[in-house]
Amino acid sequence: MANGGPVTSARVTQNNKQNEGDDMNLNELLSSMHFPAPPDQLWLVALVLVAGALAGEAIARTTRLPRLVGYTLAGGVAAAAGMGVQMPLDGSARLVIDLALALLLFEIGCRVRLRWLLRNPGLMATSLLESAVAAAAVYVALWQLGLEPAAAAACAVLAVPASAAVAGRVAQELGADGQVTQRMTHLTALNTLYGVLALVMLSAVLQAGRAPHWLPALQALGTSVASALLLAALLGGAVALVARRLDLRNESAVLLLLGLVLLAVSGARWVGASTLLVPLLAGMLLRNTSDRPWVWPRHFGTAGGVLVLLLFVVVGSAWSVPVLAAGGLAALVLLLARSLAKGLVVVLLSRWSKLSLRQGVALAVTLTPLSATALVMLSELMRAEPGLGATVAPIVLTAVALVELVGPVAVQLALRFAGELPGTSAKENT
Amino acid sequence: MSLGTFATSRALTLGVELELQIVNTQDYDLAPQAGDLMRLMKDRKIPGDVKPEITRSMIEMATGICSDFDQVLSELREIRGALLDSARQLEVGLCGGGTHPFQQWSQQRIYETPRFHQVSELYGYLSKQFTIFGQHVHVGCPGPDQALVLLHGLSRYIPHLIALAAASPFVQGEDTGFNSARLNSVFAFPLSGRAPFVQRWEDFETFYAKMTRTGVVSSMKDFYWDIRPKPEFGTIEVRVLDTPLTIEKAAALAGYIQCLARWLRVERPFELNEDDYLPYTFNRFQACRFGLDGTFVDPTTGEHRTLRDDIRATFAKLEVHAMELKAEEAIQILKHEVDGLGNDAAWLRQLHAREGMLAEVVRQQARRWAGRER
Repeated sequence: MANGGPVTSARVTQNNKQNEGDDMNLNELLSSMHFPAPPDQLWLVALVLVAGALAGEAIARTTRLPRLVGYTLAGGVAAAAGMGVQMPLDGSARLVIDLALALLLFEIGCRVRLRWLLRNPGLMATSLLESAVAAAAVYVALWQLGLEPAAAAACAVLAVPASAAVAGRVAQELGADGQVTQRMTHLTALNTLYGVLALVMLSAVLQAGRAPHWLPALQALGTSVASALLLAALLGGAVALVARRLDLRNESAVLLLLGLVLLAVSGARWVGASTLLVPLLAGMLLRNTSDRPWVWPRHFGTAGGVLVLLLFVVVGSAWSVPVLAAGGLAALVLLLARSLAKGLVVVLLSRWSKLSLRQGVALAVTLTPLSATALVMLSELMRAEPGLGATVAPIVLTAVALVELVGPVAVQLALRFAGELPGTSAKENT
Repeated sequence: MSLGTFATSRALTLGVELELQIVNTQDYDLAPQAGDLMRLMKDRKIPGDVKPEITRSMIEMATGICSDFDQVLSELREIRGALLDSARQLEVGLCGGGTHPFQQWSQQRIYETPRFHQVSELYGYLSKQFTIFGQHVHVGCPGPDQALVLLHGLSRYIPHLIALAAASPFVQGEDTGFNSARLNSVFAFPLSGRAPFVQRWEDFETFYAKMTRTGVVSSMKDFYWDIRPKPEFGTIEVRVLDTPLTIEKAAALAGYIQCLARWLRVERPFELNEDDYLPYTFNRFQACRFGLDGTFVDPTTGEHRTLRDDIRATFAKLEVHAMELKAEEAIQILKHEVDGLGNDAAWLRQLHAREGMLAEVVRQQARRWAGRER
């Protein structure tokens, strides 16, 4: 904690200077409400931290729900008071989300064994189809609802990834272990990968004019992936180097790791590569180029925990009443089409992928949350295609808002249903 | 529950059970996925069978009734093949070894069957601490009296078997200094130790009736003895072996026990005497703690030797019997270890000294069990 605070605040302050003239944020709102003028954004970060930590603790003590429900609620309250985060993400909110999500994606990437997909073709098919069918279902449903093809396609792409933040956090906090947990991690990492790649491709297609030309799209995809791969390889190499010299379970080695991941994300922002792709690919490269076990404290210990808390508060605050009103119906349709498609594929292929039906149902439910990943992708889309972004934003933000509290609870129930939480039974799986 | 009649079985037949660790391939901690493995194994045709064990990160494989070392090895190989294939579908690893080197017993989950729940409630933390992995070898006996005689004869070689099979130096992330720390967990159980010195089945039945009358035991399963009779199978069961790191070693240990049994049966090299048990716990402790370097006190002469020397002496005595039983290869495998690096505990310690990371030790244990290393 002692290390996390200053690091975060220093970065936030520095970033604040670079982004003067941002949209209205919590800081300015607070000053306009005649509070004593806060000295800098340290005030904001401290407030969010305290509110989130208190809410998280309150949830953990009074209910059996994961703490992140409390973090999200704290953000939700801020949004209800009209102090939610502005889209596209910018300033300190963007920084926090990019960094926290980078840690979570790096970690989830480190758990992906590509050889498993080759050994278990049913699992490979599940991964490819749950993403593809969900995208297609969302596209058709929203198009039927009267959305323009481009907007429907954008929503479809943003609906592909499940939430790495929720999956990673809930599983860790509740001590989940088993096939469903393991597959949730794999499917989430992979659909995040597919989603980000599809978004890059979609932006390129849109930029190439209304008539889709595949060449520029593929070129854009190529450059983006190549630069992300390069950065990912640098990050992976650096981590491997550190791992050879230091014991990664040691807190100071973890801080070094944290620094490296953050450095890579800054690099990605600087060269314009995806901040989602770089940490995810770096983790996957590390995991799949060496068989040696990777052990370090989950979420990079306390320092990383601070960032993850901030992430959930910020995501929880990404809504407002007008947004909900504008996105309502379409968001419901999107969620319904997405959950049905993902659920159907996962359940239908459960036997082939060597799961019991019960586990298949549980796994399907774990893929429903939609969270920070969708928010960052939306933000990227809004930057690249402001017009389209404005159409899509209310739908996606409403969808995120609708599942952000239900999602973690659903994941928890699903993992319990599958018998993967401590103290639950596994007899139904045999 | 009554003891039941002692089933007859062909003399010197073998049955081998191995309790295996299921580990994840991320940080190589134990993975509670026995249920998934059981589900995948259900459709497979294998000799013998595969069973769940008390905690969900443990699975047991067992051969059918085998006549010799070769058959044991080939059945183990076939079951291992099917298990590994299933494990790959689930991306989990399987390995031998008597303990998991760094698992936290408090996090173990009990497999859902009535008996396991009863045991868990009675013994509390002991049952979770019982996340240990052993090899059991059944030896067929034509009758109950012969079974008891063989049991007490083999008891003298319990320290030898412990020292040869020891494969559990690490517990909860620490080097215990023991070669077989696993047996310390077994000794914590109230009814562990040795069977009473009776050589006739009716005397054993009397003892058993007295014990059940006290309400202390309700079945043979409540005795955690080093060797115990198994009336349903018509066998005696040797239970002191840590699960070895390879199936070859497991088969070799079974072959060695078979040779010892034949030697005791055919040559009757010494008279059974209750006084033989006087140095029993001392010898057993020496074997657990120091392995092959432990001291062995000869119960007849009172002489002190290292277990390594006394084991070498048995190899010489067993030569003819190994030939008769086609178990020469089994003896060769063990001889090679005794003359070379030593038991599996020594291998694990050496590996840990080189790698400095217990998770990496488990990974290489899993590779070794899969037959992909040495």
